[in-house]
Amino acid sequence: MTKMNRRQLMLSTVGAMALVLAAAAGFGPAQADEKVVTIGIELPLTGADADSATRIKNGAIMAIEEANGKGGAGGYKLGVTVLDSGTSTAGQYDPAQAATNAKKFVADPNVIAIVGPEMSGEGKAMTPILSAANLATITPSSTNPDITDPKFAGQYKPNGKAIYFRTVTTDAFQGPNMANYMRDTLKVKSVYIVDDSGAYGVGISNAFEAQAKKIGVNVMGHDQLDPKEADYTTIITKIKGLNPDAVYYGGVAQAGVKVAKQLHEIFPSVIKAGGDGMVDGGLLSAVGFPAIEGWYCTQASPHVMDDASMSDWVARYTKEFKMTPSDYAITAYDAVQVVVDSINRVSAGGQPVNRDTVRDAMQSANLKTLQGPVSFDENGDIVNKVISVFEITHDAKSADDDVQHQYKYIGVAPESPTS
Amino acid sequence: MSYSDVLLQQVINGVSLGAMYALLALGFTMVYGIIELINFAHFNVFMVGAFFSMWILKLTGLAGQKVILTGLPLVGVLLLALVCVMLFCGVLGVAIERTVLRPLRNVPGTAAMITTIGVSYILFNVILLSQGAAALNFPNPMPAVVWNVTGGAVLKLREVLLWTLAGVLMLGLHFFVRRTRMGKAMQATAQDQEAARMMGIEVDSVVMTTFFLGSALAGAAGLVFGLYYNFASYVIGYTAGLRAFTAAVLGGIGSIPGAMLGGIIIGLIESLGGQLLATRWTDVIIFSILVIVLVFRPTGLFGRMMIRKS
Repeated sequence: MTKMNRRQLMLSTVGAMALVLAAAAGFGPAQADEKVVTIGIELPLTGADADSATRIKNGAIMAIEEANGKGGAGGYKLGVTVLDSGTSTAGQYDPAQAATNAKKFVADPNVIAIVGPEMSGEGKAMTPILSAANLATITPSSTNPDITDPKFAGQYKPNGKAIYFRTVTTDAFQGPNMANYMRDTLKVKSVYIVDDSGAYGVGISNAFEAQAKKIGVNVMGHDQLDPKEADYTTIITKIKGLNPDAVYYGGVAQAGVKVAKQLHEIFPSVIKAGGDGMVDGGLLSAVGFPAIEGWYCTQASPHVMDDASMSDWVARYTKEFKMTPSDYAITAYDAVQVVVDSINRVSAGGQPVNRDTVRDAMQSANLKTLQGPVSFDENGDIVNKVISVFEITHDAKSADDDVQHQYKYIGVAPESPTS
Repeated sequence: MSYSDVLLQQVINGVSLGAMYALLALGFTMVYGIIELINFAHFNVFMVGAFFSMWILKLTGLAGQKVILTGLPLVGVLLLALVCVMLFCGVLGVAIERTVLRPLRNVPGTAAMITTIGVSYILFNVILLSQGAAALNFPNPMPAVVWNVTGGAVLKLREVLLWTLAGVLMLGLHFFVRRTRMGKAMQATAQDQEAARMMGIEVDSVVMTTFFLGSALAGAAGLVFGLYYNFASYVIGYTAGLRAFTAAVLGGIGSIPGAMLGGIIIGLIESLGGQLLATRWTDVIIFSILVIVLVFRPTGLFGRMMIRKS
């Protein structure tokens, strides 16, 4: 290398650094040769929710990689920024951290849409911030209905426009439909309800309770648990004394692990059911078989994983990430497809690609995804509402924490009771 | 299951909880008795004990609840885990005392207590970062032996084991403090540190022994916790620790029989309160007791038996 060349190299390095700095400072990414827009991903990647969150993240990453492989979206390459909402003080998702993450996304002008969050508690903290910036997010798993309920529009979308879209349906269906299923199919006549005091847990168990009462199931009680508490033997002994046909748990893994273990110790004969919070590989290995055997769980999306058309996708996912996908890995993949489709349509219509146009395009999305057709109502809720029911059935051939094989699909929970 | 059976079962649950709180409360009370320090690191020494005993049990080839042992192998494995975890936690307690608390021993005010909170956070975060936040499956080699006490209430092997272990350890401690030379030195130091030193008692080694014993009991409590609940998680120190602390205050902080009785009372309040009211109220009741005791009877139940400070 000659002296001249070395100097040129240094100059160009300095020049490139200046360009990067300029771009970072907000002088516009348009100066770069390749146009990039960023999709934010917001999930509780550390803590008790890490297992399910990682499977969701991988679904989204896979969709972004595949879109980039096909040349990106609307002439843009897709960048990714992943932020974690798990903190050590919460030990699971932390709404305060989720709010901070939302602010970070809003502050980055390249971020034009978000995929996430996983948990409704995060969503409730993020939506006021995202609404102010008109930055839309698509959640692949958060199911609390309040966030998209027009009644709470002032709280969760003060700006007026829907910014919280979902590729799953809500607990307004997940809880009640499971109540229908339990009465009609599992022949449950009485139930005791416990929840984990979180936004999701309280919401889904209240929705379940209302429907159970409506269709004549005897609700013998409803207690709230402290998720950091170790001992639930007191409450479970109390439940055993009342002898209900079933126990319904609304909540996520942190309390769910202990509820499942101690129910198995004290009251194993009862029918045990929960929502999508009980679908988690970490929970399976922490509780272990046979204690977790026989739990009924729901997912707020159609179960397409076992379809023949999905086998290639499942194989790609398993090969790339060395773990099996969950149903919400599919809905996360679908969420990215919606974002990509929206950017494509904005670009094809000759409009500039920014948060406002992408949000508007998402609102009118109507496309075929892995789970089936996805379109949203004016609140951001998915139009196609399906609740799938699973029973945890030990598959000795698979690993204990294999969410694809240890949850056996047994049908759809009906929106209205059969009788 | 009739209502009286349910109540009896809750008493069994409560005594089990209480035995665990008592083991933990002893550590608080002993350290306070000797150097008038509330040792908040104790919470997480207990938590580390639960993880350490899980590792020991896993090293012996146990996993989850799949391997069930009976007879001598069961006793052997449990004894091995007990001895290892008590030694480990005892040494951990001594290390904490030796490295961060001894330099602060004669610093007036709350410096030492605040330091123990810091140590507690260090242990908490070390386990969180190395083990993750998700609850881990604690191996349980005990067969599911169940005795029917009445028609509905049952007594399980794990409960009998917990009571026996807690009883033996507490009796052992009681005799150690009352009968042995070191125990007498501990009593003397508790009474008056300066006078004890003048009489030729090595106060430093007395303090170290106190930390060793208290922390070893916390380690035993960690093993018992794991066998009882079959999980280990980095958050278990706080809820159990705060209640054990309340138990120590209720019994009269500094008093060893007080800590035992306080633990059982708190355990019973937790289980019967959860039965008769609702579980979400139990913390309110327990910590109201803490406040009431501190306001109206700061010396606790065994206050009069407490050694008078100079």
